[in-house]
Amino acid sequence: MAARGSAGKRGAGSGGSRGPDPQEEPPPPLQAVLVADSFNRRFFPISKDRPRALLPLANVAMIDYTLEFLTATGVEETFVFCCWKSAEIKEHLQKSKWCRRTSPNTLRFVTSDLYRSLGDVLRDVDAKSLVRSDFILVSGDVVSNINVSKALEEHRLRRKQDKNVSVMTMIFKESSPGHRARCQEDDIILAMDGATNRVLHYQRTQGLKRFRFPMSLFQSNIEEVQVRHDLLDCRISICSPQVAELFTDNFDYQTLDDFVRGLLVNEEVLGNQIHMHATAEEYGAHVSNLLMYEAVCSDIIRRWVYPMTPEMNFTDDKTQSYTHSRHNIYRGAEVSLGQGSVLEENVLIGQGTVIGSKCTIINSVIGQNCKIGDKVILDRAFLWNDVRIADDVEIRQSIICNEADVKKGVKLNSHCVLTSLVVVGPNITLPEGTVISLHPPDEEEDDDDQFSDDSGVNKEESKAKLKGYNEAEVGAEGRGYLWKAEDENEVEVEEEEEQRQSLWGPALDLGEESETESDLSLGSEQPDSRYVSPQLDDVKVFQNEVLGTLQRGEEENVSCDNLVLEINSLKYAYNIGMKEVMQVLSKVVLEFPLRQLDTETDPQRYCVLLIPLLKNWTPVFKNYIKRASDHLDALYAIEEFFLEHEKLCTSLAKVLMTFYQLEILAEEMILSWFSRQDTSEKGRQLRKNQRLQKFIQWLEEAEEESSEGDQD
Amino acid sequence: MLVGEGLGDLGVVESPLVVGVRPPHGVSSAESGCAPRFAAQLGILGCGRGGECVSAVTSCPAASAISLGLRPRHCHPCLHHVEVIVVTTKEVQKVLNSETKMKLDIVCIPDDADMGTVDSLRHIHQKIKTDVLVLSCDLITDVSLHEVVDLFRAHDATLSMLMKKAHEPTEVVPGQKGKTKPVEQRDFIGVDDTGKRLLFMANEADLDEELVIKRSILQKHPRMHIRTGLVDAHLYCLKKYVVDFLVENRSFTSIRSELIPYLVRKQFSSPESLQQGQDNKEREQKRKDQKALDIYSFIKEDSMLEFGSGKSCWNNHRGDMNEAFPGGKVRCYVHIMKGGLCYRVNTLGLYIEANRQVRSRVNLACGTRARVCVHRDHFVTHTPPVGSDNIMGSSTQVGEKTSIKHSVIGSSCTIKDKVKITNCIVMNSVTVEEGCSLQNSVLCHNAVIEKGADIKDCLIGSGQRLEPKGEQREDGLRRSNLQKGLLLFQSIWL
Repeated sequence: MAARGSAGKRGAGSGGSRGPDPQEEPPPPLQAVLVADSFNRRFFPISKDRPRALLPLANVAMIDYTLEFLTATGVEETFVFCCWKSAEIKEHLQKSKWCRRTSPNTLRFVTSDLYRSLGDVLRDVDAKSLVRSDFILVSGDVVSNINVSKALEEHRLRRKQDKNVSVMTMIFKESSPGHRARCQEDDIILAMDGATNRVLHYQRTQGLKRFRFPMSLFQSNIEEVQVRHDLLDCRISICSPQVAELFTDNFDYQTLDDFVRGLLVNEEVLGNQIHMHATAEEYGAHVSNLLMYEAVCSDIIRRWVYPMTPEMNFTDDKTQSYTHSRHNIYRGAEVSLGQGSVLEENVLIGQGTVIGSKCTIINSVIGQNCKIGDKVILDRAFLWNDVRIADDVEIRQSIICNEADVKKGVKLNSHCVLTSLVVVGPNITLPEGTVISLHPPDEEEDDDDQFSDDSGVNKEESKAKLKGYNEAEVGAEGRGYLWKAEDENEVEVEEEEEQRQSLWGPALDLGEESETESDLSLGSEQPDSRYVSPQLDDVKVFQNEVLGTLQRGEEENVSCDNLVLEINSLKYAYNIGMKEVMQVLSKVVLEFPLRQLDTETDPQRYCVLLIPLLKNWTPVFKNYIKRASDHLDALYAIEEFFLEHEKLCTSLAKVLMTFYQLEILAEEMILSWFSRQDTSEKGRQLRKNQRLQKFIQWLEEAEEESSEGDQD
Repeated sequence: MLVGEGLGDLGVVESPLVVGVRPPHGVSSAESGCAPRFAAQLGILGCGRGGECVSAVTSCPAASAISLGLRPRHCHPCLHHVEVIVVTTKEVQKVLNSETKMKLDIVCIPDDADMGTVDSLRHIHQKIKTDVLVLSCDLITDVSLHEVVDLFRAHDATLSMLMKKAHEPTEVVPGQKGKTKPVEQRDFIGVDDTGKRLLFMANEADLDEELVIKRSILQKHPRMHIRTGLVDAHLYCLKKYVVDFLVENRSFTSIRSELIPYLVRKQFSSPESLQQGQDNKEREQKRKDQKALDIYSFIKEDSMLEFGSGKSCWNNHRGDMNEAFPGGKVRCYVHIMKGGLCYRVNTLGLYIEANRQVRSRVNLACGTRARVCVHRDHFVTHTPPVGSDNIMGSSTQVGEKTSIKHSVIGSSCTIKDKVKITNCIVMNSVTVEEGCSLQNSVLCHNAVIEKGADIKDCLIGSGQRLEPKGEQREDGLRRSNLQKGLLLFQSIWL
């Protein structure tokens, strides 16, 4: 460690600086800007109690890892910018070794509640002119053992040679796709100049299936452009003071991503360049979501971040001394392990923890002073301090925060989170992705002013109902609110899915998607498939436009002729075929009443709302439904709608009846639709609906009668 | 036939025409191990009609190039018994028959048929019984061919090809004003980290504003090097089934612009999903007839080979223990030449450039041979004024006080006294009378230059006769000559 530190300083010392005579003057001490705030709420509700920078990774706060990294790499002065819960961070750091007089790295705190983004922080750096020369910019959740000095040397050399054209060097770690420390939401793709390491294009993948690179990348005299998908953004960058100035000049830059994008786009205008440095051997990651939390934690225990391993006790905290034994078992002082309990591998147990008998623990981290009962199974469990776990508990891939209490017989499935002081159980099984917190979800808005995120959605959701704890959710003796939207209607169900995703982060999916994607390009040549997708979009846009038109028609009593005219012009504008018009029109009209209904469970009300609409718009339908195929298209669209909304199935007969009575659909067409054989399983089920059968029967009889009448 | 003559003497071109390739007997890529068994069956010289040639003038050069290739001194060690199929027209056949020592199977195509390389392949597909190496007649290279073939064998590839860096034209091309180089469409070539696997290929003309790369490719090959300054040497190693595929699928007309991009794209569509979609495929086939034919349906399974690779612990990548060739069954590889000589003589400029390069490499390449490459029958009347960087054909006479620099002179030429020749290409049976000065020009067969002509940057057609004292500068052929000359070229067009 010491050797590394001094090497770092040497490296830092050998480069040039911006001074008038770099040969003579020693470079100024290396500075760093540490942003101890993420400016997002990915860790809610965990970070409600504790700022993200203080979350324990293998029982040590994240920010300690970051500071250790900075100190080891030769930083002598670090500005710590805090915003959310700044007092806690400050308190933690003042107690730590970084604030002792012997610390080689001087900490300076800058706190303000006004910071909204990284951009604000850097603008403040510029305003207060805190930095004198090149500095390292990291966020407070970076865990790394990268020695930056080589990159720093390269950076300084580049700046000396090219007259400050290069403003920033980003540091990446090489890791192939599918590496578990690469989470999907931070996945990047990068295009660089193979010879000079200059970054040409930087983009988050965001689940895109195709990456587009503007041709301008290839125009210049670059012999070889490397497209790299094997990089992990460590969120460590070496910045020149210009970076802070640029943030001031461009007040719309919020994040580093904005900055990089802006710089690359305006490269020709401003002439600023970004370079990169990729390291293959060292470790670097930043904890951006719980999935990453888990990955980084297990990497620390598996000693990938050497020399920052638990038994090194780099924070120099007496309570953090561990012994290291085979299979990466780390034990703190005064740990007691009951008879028959097995620590299989990769387990860290904090000081003063008591574990009962016949437990099985694997790949887990247990904090200090925890009490664990008998016959407990912990698999990828992350327990913080003072957690109580009763007998016969099973916990898989979950996080349990300080002083939480898990009662007897509880089972936690993957991706569960229990925040501080939560009590669950006894005898309850929490489904996958359960998040329980003492903060009710609707409390969010109160202290929300500093975040502009989209989490206000859950707000209106039954405040009164959540005043008491729901026993079904947290168990008879439980305390805590389920952070989960009630599954009343579809929109919110999606929301819940999103929340779980956002807390844990999407898992990396490999392979599978590439297969499906290759399907796309299989038969058809590439240009074809490219042609298809915009067309789909057009239909969608067209649908929205039709919806808007009809809405206006409804509100302002526009005559049907005018509606037809408008739809026709839309049809030409988006180049939509007759068939699609039929489908879209039917779909839009049928969905129309849904917006007035709270739930879609009530077929009666649905019919009541729909029928007057149909009556109003009969001329519109009649204008489009003329040929036999139009009738069928409309019927298929109706069928599709009811397949999607199964609860409304019972009203199908009535809707068809209305169509028939309004003479929009002809009876023989309805019959031929009904008797169609090649339908899906669901379609057949739909046709078994009693009322529909009755209606069809009635139609058949009516037809017979009328045909008889004709014969007469 | 001078270039040919020169190179033939040199043996520079280590028989680039090779070739037919058998499937690998083992996965081992050890060249020596394979060599004895590598009694190649078949080769093709796809001698196109020069559809890509810029002007008719290049017909002559093309012929030269052929002879150049066909007079190899040493075949490549790997390729002891090479069977070469030459597809060409009748006129070339005559020349070839008289000049070559190699065993050739010459297939004639009708003079008037306008056949591309793919058509030629279809034409002779019955003769192709194994994997095949296709190359075009205008390739001049000293690349050791085993590089390309080894890639093909080691990776059990569907295709392996040769590429080289594009070169910048250095000097003025005779007959062309200025350096008006046609703006070529650039090719974007994506290779993997080893620089061998061909992952991506697109032409600038096909792209709009941006280059699109699929995610699935990058997941398998996370580091892609995209290069633009590369030129295809038109040398392809193809699996037999690709030829079968071409025969069935008539919609392909060009290897370079259709087949290769198709194969490169197909690398990343997996055969499994294809089987799922088989039913759809069949329907489509009925509908679209030939268009839906897929390369996968042509891949022949070799159970023995599969069994072997299952037992072997070797694989073609590092980092995991997967099977030997993970991923799709179509694999394309490219060998990118770093140095060395590689020219596709398809324009006059390149022809001249190639001549120059060959000349300068003569000494390097021949090793033990005399420093001046003068044919033994070469007859110099007086003191040899010939510099060391020339190539001379047989039975050429050079007069007194004549200086020849940086030039290639064909056979049976007569160069009289006090002639100055610099930077020229003089083909066979050319007569240059006294006191002429030739600079940076090309003189075709049987041209006669009368006394005192001063020629610079000119192109003199076959059998042309320049009147005495005529002065030609910069403007190519004289107007009258120009047209006549061109007509003549067409009549002797190969």
